[in-house]
Amino acid sequence: MEELLQNLILGLLLGGVYALAAAGLSLIFGVMRVINIAHGAFLILGAFIAYSLWDDLGIDPLLGVVITTPIVFALGWVTYKLLVAPIRTAPMASTVLLTFGIALVVEGAMGEIWGNNSTSVRPSYADESFTIGGIFLPKAQLYGGLLAVVVLGILWLVLTRTWLGRAIRAAAVNPSSAELVGVKVSAVAALVFGLGIAAAGAGGAITGVLYPFVPGSHYQWIARLLAIVVLGGLGSINGAMLGAVVFGVAETMTAAYISPSWATAVPYAIVFAVLLIRPQGLLGTRLREDAVPA
Amino acid sequence: MSRVRVRRGLTAAALTGVMTLALAACVDDGSDDEGGGGSDEKLVIGTSLPLTGEFSQPGKAAQEGYEVWRDMVNESGGLLGRQVELVVKDDASNQNTIVSDYNALISKDKVDLLLGTFSSLLNLPASAVAERNGMLYVEPAGGSPDMFNRGYKFLFFAQQATADKQGLVFADWVSNLPEDQRPKTAAYPTLDDPFAQPVVEGVKEVLEDAGIKTVYEETYAIDTKNFDTIVNAMKNADPDLVVHGAQFEDGIGLTRSMLKAGFTPDMFFETNAPSFADQYSDGVGAENTEGVMFAVSHSPDADTPGNAEFVAKYEEMFGGTPAEDSADAYAAGQVLQAAVEAVGSIDDQEALADWLRENEVETILGPLSWNDDGSPTGEFLIGQWQNGKAEIVLPEEASTSDVQVGWKPGNAG
Repeated sequence: MEELLQNLILGLLLGGVYALAAAGLSLIFGVMRVINIAHGAFLILGAFIAYSLWDDLGIDPLLGVVITTPIVFALGWVTYKLLVAPIRTAPMASTVLLTFGIALVVEGAMGEIWGNNSTSVRPSYADESFTIGGIFLPKAQLYGGLLAVVVLGILWLVLTRTWLGRAIRAAAVNPSSAELVGVKVSAVAALVFGLGIAAAGAGGAITGVLYPFVPGSHYQWIARLLAIVVLGGLGSINGAMLGAVVFGVAETMTAAYISPSWATAVPYAIVFAVLLIRPQGLLGTRLREDAVPA
Repeated sequence: MSRVRVRRGLTAAALTGVMTLALAACVDDGSDDEGGGGSDEKLVIGTSLPLTGEFSQPGKAAQEGYEVWRDMVNESGGLLGRQVELVVKDDASNQNTIVSDYNALISKDKVDLLLGTFSSLLNLPASAVAERNGMLYVEPAGGSPDMFNRGYKFLFFAQQATADKQGLVFADWVSNLPEDQRPKTAAYPTLDDPFAQPVVEGVKEVLEDAGIKTVYEETYAIDTKNFDTIVNAMKNADPDLVVHGAQFEDGIGLTRSMLKAGFTPDMFFETNAPSFADQYSDGVGAENTEGVMFAVSHSPDADTPGNAEFVAKYEEMFGGTPAEDSADAYAAGQVLQAAVEAVGSIDDQEALADWLRENEVETILGPLSWNDDGSPTGEFLIGQWQNGKAEIVLPEEASTSDVQVGWKPGNAG
C-alpha cells in the first residue's frame, strides 16, 4: 500500500510538470489551429536560460521563472510576428513544417550558445527529499509541481477573469464574429502564441532542475506533449492538464508494476485506447466537421 | 482568393527555405575548407558523428579527439607525406541519416579513408556501408558483441575489449573480495542499448556464479527521463551493489534519483557516464562521486606512449581534461595511421585490414590487437572516483590509485 501511494505521488508530481508544458501547446492549437512542433524546443530553451541564470548569476532556477518566462514570452511573440503570422491560415501541413523548422533552428542556436554537452541544473535542494511516514517527496519535484500549479493558476485566471482571456476565448470559438465585436484576432493570436511559449519556458525551467538536457532533448518532449494534448482533447487546456496527469501516472505505474521498458510505451497505448472510444480526446469538443458525413 | 492562397503558399515555401538555410548555417559540418577540400595533396578522411540529438555528448567529444589527432599528424608532416583533412558530418544521432552520410562520404565527397562513429546503435549501420564499399572502418566506439558476428572484414574496434567483457575485471574483483566486504545482493538496471546491456549481463553472470544474489533486474527504454520509480523499486529490493548499464544522461538521472530517494547502496558501478570527467561530476555533484566505479578504456594519467602529448594538445585546443570518448577517437586515428604507414599506400584497403589483423598497434589506450572478426583481444581498465577525480584502480599493473570498497556520496538525502 505504501509502495502504491509512493508511486502514485511520484506519478502526480511528474504529471504536474507535464501539465504546464502541455497547457501552452493546447492553448496555441485551441486559438490558432497551429500544431506547434517547436514547443519542445522552447521548453529546452527555458531550461537553458534557467541554467544560465543559476550558473552565471546564482539565481535559483525555480524562482528565476519570473525572469525566464518573460524572456521566452518575448521570443514567442517575435517568432509569431516574424514567421508564423504570414502563414497562419495556410493548410496545417505548412504550419507543421514551419514550426518543425523553427524547432531545428532553435536547437541549432542553443547548440551554438550553450554547446551540445549535457547540462544539469543542481540547486542545493536538487537531490534532497522530504520523508513522511516512509514515503519520500523529492524537494525539486515538489517545488516544481507547486510552481507548475501556480503558473497554471495564473494562466487560468488570465483566460477566465480578464478581458484578454475573453478575447482569447472568443477568437478561439469564432474568429470572424470576434472581429465583428472589436477583438483584434491577429493581435490576440500573437499574445496567445507568446503565452503558450512562455508556459513551455516555465515548464523548461522546472524540468531543467529535474532532468539533464541537451539541445536535442526537445524531440522526446514534443512526442510526449503531443500525445498528452491529443489525449486530453486538442485545444482544451483542462484536457491537457488531465491528459498530463493520466500520462504521468500511467508512466510511473507501468514502470513500477509492469516493467520500466514499457514505461514510455504504455501511456501511448492508453492514448490509442481513449481515442478509439472518444476520438475528440478526454475533454475535447466534438465539432461539426468531425462528424462523419452520412 | 486564389492569388492570396498562392502568395501564402509562396511565403510558406520561402520561409521554409530561409529556415533550412539558417539551419545549414548553424550546423558546422566540421570540414576544413582551406585548400578547397579534396585537393590532390590532401588526404581526406570522412566520418559522421552524432553532433546533435541524443548522443551529442560523446559525438562532440569524438570530434575533438579526431581533431587533436588530425592536428598532431599534420604537425609531424602528415600521413604518407600528405596533410590530413577531416570531413565531419552530423548524423543527428539518427540511424537513417548516418547511412546516407557514409554513402555521401564515399560517393559524393570521395574521401580517401573512413573513421567510425559513436555508439553501437550508429556503428551497426555505418559499418555495413563501409563493408559494402570495401573500405576500412576503424570505430572508436561500438563495442556491442553484435557488431562482430556479421563476418565483416573491414571493421576494427579501437578499444581493448567488446562490451560483454568490459566489466569482467570489476566482476572478478568483487567476487574475490573478503567475505565481510563482498556484497550479498545486487541490482541490475540497464538502458535498452546494444552497448550498455552486454556489459551488465557480463558482470551479472560472473557475480551470480560467485553466489551474489540478483534482487532487481530491469531494462528501460532510451527516452526514459524519470528514474524515481525504478529507484523506488530498487530501494525496496535493498541490494548491496548496483550495476547500472548507462549511457550519459540516464547515468546522471538515475544517480540523482538514488540520492533523492536516500538510496545509497554499499557499492555502485555504472557504465559510460562516470568516464565523462568534469561533465559527470557537474551532473551528479562532485561530493556524490566518491567511490563510484566504472569500466574505462583510457586514463589521462596513463603511462602509455604518446598519452601525455595527447592530453597536453587536447588541453591546448579545447581546455580541460579529455573525456574518454575523445581519447578513443584519437586512438582510432592512431590505428588507422599505423595501418596506412605500415602498408605505405591507401589504394588497397583490404591490405590495410589484413595488416591490422596480423599486427599489434601501440595507442594511448595501450597496445591493441584484433581477432579475425575485428573484435579486440585486450582487457578493460576499471576506474573509480576518488577525491573528486577519476582514477584507474584495476588491474593493479595499470592503476593510478588503490581501489577502495564502497560508494560514499556526501549529500545523500
